Amino acid sequence: MRPVLQALWGGILSGSVYGLMAIGLTLIWGTVRLLNLAHGALYVVGAYAAWTVLEILGLPLAAAIVAAVVVAAIFGYGIHLLVVRPLLGRAGWDSASIIATVGVAIALTAAALLIFGPRVKQIPPVVPGSVIFSGVRFSYQGMVIVAVAVVSLLSLFFYLANSRQGMAIRAVSQDMDASALMGVPVETTYARVMMISAGLAGLAGVLLSSLLFLSPNSGFAPMIIALMVTIFGGLGSVKGTIVAAYLIGILESTVQVYLGGSWSLPVLFLFMIAVLIIRPNGLFGVTEAHRL
Amino acid sequence: MTDSAGRSVLDRLDSAAGPWRTPRWGTIAFLGVIALVLPHLLLRFGAGTFIVHMLILFFLWSVVAQSWNLVLGVSGIYSFAQIAFFAVGGWVTALLSMNLGWNPWLSVLAAPLAATLAAILIGLPTLRLRGVYVVLLTLAFHELLGNLASTGPREITGGGYGLIGVPRFDFGPLSGLGHLANSYYVALISFVVATMAIWRLFHSPIGSAFSALRDSEGYAVGRGINQFRIKLFLFGFSAFFTGLAGGLMTHYLGSISSSVFAFSVLINVLAMIVIGGWGSFGGPIFGTALLLGLQEGLRDLADFRTLVLGLALAAVAVLAPTGAWPKLRDGFRNFLDQPGSGDPDLEEPTEDRSAETEEGPRLT
Amino acid sequence: MILEVEGLRAGYGPATVLHGVDLTVGEGEGVVVLGPNGHGKTTLLRAISGITPPTAGTLRFDGEDVTGWRPDLIAAAGMVHIPQGDALFREMKVEENLLMGAYDKAAWPKRTERLARVYDLLPQLAARRTQIANSLSGGERRMLAIGRGLMAEAKLLMIDEPSLGLAPLLIEQVYEQVTAIKKEGLAVLLADENAEHISELADRVLLLESGVFVREGPAETLLRDESLLTAYLG
Repeated sequence: MRPVLQALWGGILSGSVYGLMAIGLTLIWGTVRLLNLAHGALYVVGAYAAWTVLEILGLPLAAAIVAAVVVAAIFGYGIHLLVVRPLLGRAGWDSASIIATVGVAIALTAAALLIFGPRVKQIPPVVPGSVIFSGVRFSYQGMVIVAVAVVSLLSLFFYLANSRQGMAIRAVSQDMDASALMGVPVETTYARVMMISAGLAGLAGVLLSSLLFLSPNSGFAPMIIALMVTIFGGLGSVKGTIVAAYLIGILESTVQVYLGGSWSLPVLFLFMIAVLIIRPNGLFGVTEAHRL
Repeated sequence: MTDSAGRSVLDRLDSAAGPWRTPRWGTIAFLGVIALVLPHLLLRFGAGTFIVHMLILFFLWSVVAQSWNLVLGVSGIYSFAQIAFFAVGGWVTALLSMNLGWNPWLSVLAAPLAATLAAILIGLPTLRLRGVYVVLLTLAFHELLGNLASTGPREITGGGYGLIGVPRFDFGPLSGLGHLANSYYVALISFVVATMAIWRLFHSPIGSAFSALRDSEGYAVGRGINQFRIKLFLFGFSAFFTGLAGGLMTHYLGSISSSVFAFSVLINVLAMIVIGGWGSFGGPIFGTALLLGLQEGLRDLADFRTLVLGLALAAVAVLAPTGAWPKLRDGFRNFLDQPGSGDPDLEEPTEDRSAETEEGPRLT
Repeated sequence: MILEVEGLRAGYGPATVLHGVDLTVGEGEGVVVLGPNGHGKTTLLRAISGITPPTAGTLRFDGEDVTGWRPDLIAAAGMVHIPQGDALFREMKVEENLLMGAYDKAAWPKRTERLARVYDLLPQLAARRTQIANSLSGGERRMLAIGRGLMAEAKLLMIDEPSLGLAPLLIEQVYEQVTAIKKEGLAVLLADENAEHISELADRVLLLESGVFVREGPAETLLRDESLLTAYLG
């Protein structure tokens, strides 16, 4: 029972964080058709912003979390201005956007390295300590993370389903021209999506860094997995991504418990290949349409 | 230099060349002579040793850059697995020569084969999928092999230090020239062979198919160009020379370690292609020279250099997607006054496209 | 004059489809543009609403110069364009599609009443309000597109090929709806391939051929011209 419970809990925990990151990726893909390879860097930006607020400014953790989201969102807007806007409507969008976001990711990571140094940093947990149940340790911080993530994801879902701007985001992802004809300012919507998704990445950064550690390169691995989640769930599908996040989280966790950490990436990789062969559009993906 | 019709002679030569373009033999012979003689001149000076070393690096890395450009810049396959293929080549030859006692000359032949095999294995499931998925899977593959190289079984990781003490080439009767000079020649020959092979590919009917794939997959498929087979061929072809370069580098340096998987290496080679000239023939070669030069020139600035590199990548992608080489080449050509001469390189990605293509979101 | 178009040129990339056309629509007027496929009807409407930015010409809408405006701003000014093929938000429900029609800041606060009005007018939509747009039949999708157009504070309704892909009976119903809307006082600019159902709707008819208007005149005159009718009913 113990390993199963451990795998499950670990899976829910990482699944929650992957969900936060993957949702942002899928939103951006669904609307802007951008594969944002700078997402991992935004994770790091948020985490370092939080750390700065905590350690340098000495403010409480809540402020740090807010800072993480806001600062990351600002950088997300910056990416929109510097990369997305100039490239819109040009041929060669696919390659240019990938290279440009990679460049931004490199630059941000290098900047973090220069400013904060290579030594690993820690973000203290909101609630230290843990409880043992059935031989498995459940950290309070872990529970906080899951709670925050679930609330955020649900809020986002609600926002997309019911609010005027949320519906506009979904509309733009389904038919850009028709949305414009309804009076939706498409480019502003892109900016909004970039900021929301960046904010979520920043949130994931501060949350996960409180469990593990923080270094300038911390964002890369979560981004790779978030990419896997996005693709597995079906690019552009919010529901699919959330489900996929937990599935992949649990899969990774199970592999870690039973086979050891170094096996998780290879197993995930093979799993991805298998999934993509059977269902090339992911779990909930639809062939050409892009749905939110 | 103009004939009676008012066109320059060079102009007519270009437009006369058919799909199989003939290289300019004169220039090549000239460069070839210089290249052969160079080490002898340089090695007389102390600084010359360093320059020869840099030239070896240049030859080998530009092969990698050119190969990756074939895949990424020319045919629009968003693969990030190039370094992984390089590493596969290096590791295979290292293991064969170290552990099985193979003669390096023999084991280095296994390098390109192993790399190509890896490429085909990865390419089979991956290349059928949409571009976006290729990014992910090749990135994951890179990450995977990188993990294996640093935390895998001892035989491969060498305890985390990599494989050291890889046997060097035995140059037999030519040993008198010195290891450095001989390595130079080996690198030079590989560079020439690879570059010529890539040139032929570029300027062949298959080459046009590649850029057709990149510019408009729909059109290419409609014309009966079998995407998948071409992509797979290309993928394997690019891995072949990359693996060879990896093997040669390993024997030259005498070691290989997981540091080759570091992000900075990946970015450096990417920058060689992007900043040098994405999709063009000369671009990656120029880019390699540029990047290697910058690396040495800005050695002290290490992390700052990475920051600038990242910004440069983004800036080039946004502002000058074709990279530096085409601009330099066109500028040079204008200088020589060759009006409207045919582009001897493959067309770079065009920018004047109808809004009706599927190229991505439009600003409306 | 709700719409004044002068010298409009538009196309796709290097290909010009519209070669400088002039057009006006008066308040409450019904103007129909007839023409075979591929001659520029769709491009015309897209150029006016801004999705395909014109390369030359001027546009005045409700007295304001809207030349070069972004399509969402033109839409906010009261121009509703129902594109060819409906352009529905296929993964959204019927009600969500309709609500998007009222996205504009001016229309949004009134969306509940407008929704009720549209459901009144088009009861088949009310019956399917929670269905995904993709699952509707062709005729219902057309009605949804029109209903969505009615959710906005429209001063001009532009419809591109309302008869496209529909069975004759449905075409009649669609045209009945549009005519009823026009009779309530809304200016309508409609483009279609044939002239069968437009007699009640049209005050003026224009014939578009190869990107230019070749004939223009009061509906009664043009519609009585036999040779024309055969050419365009064929």
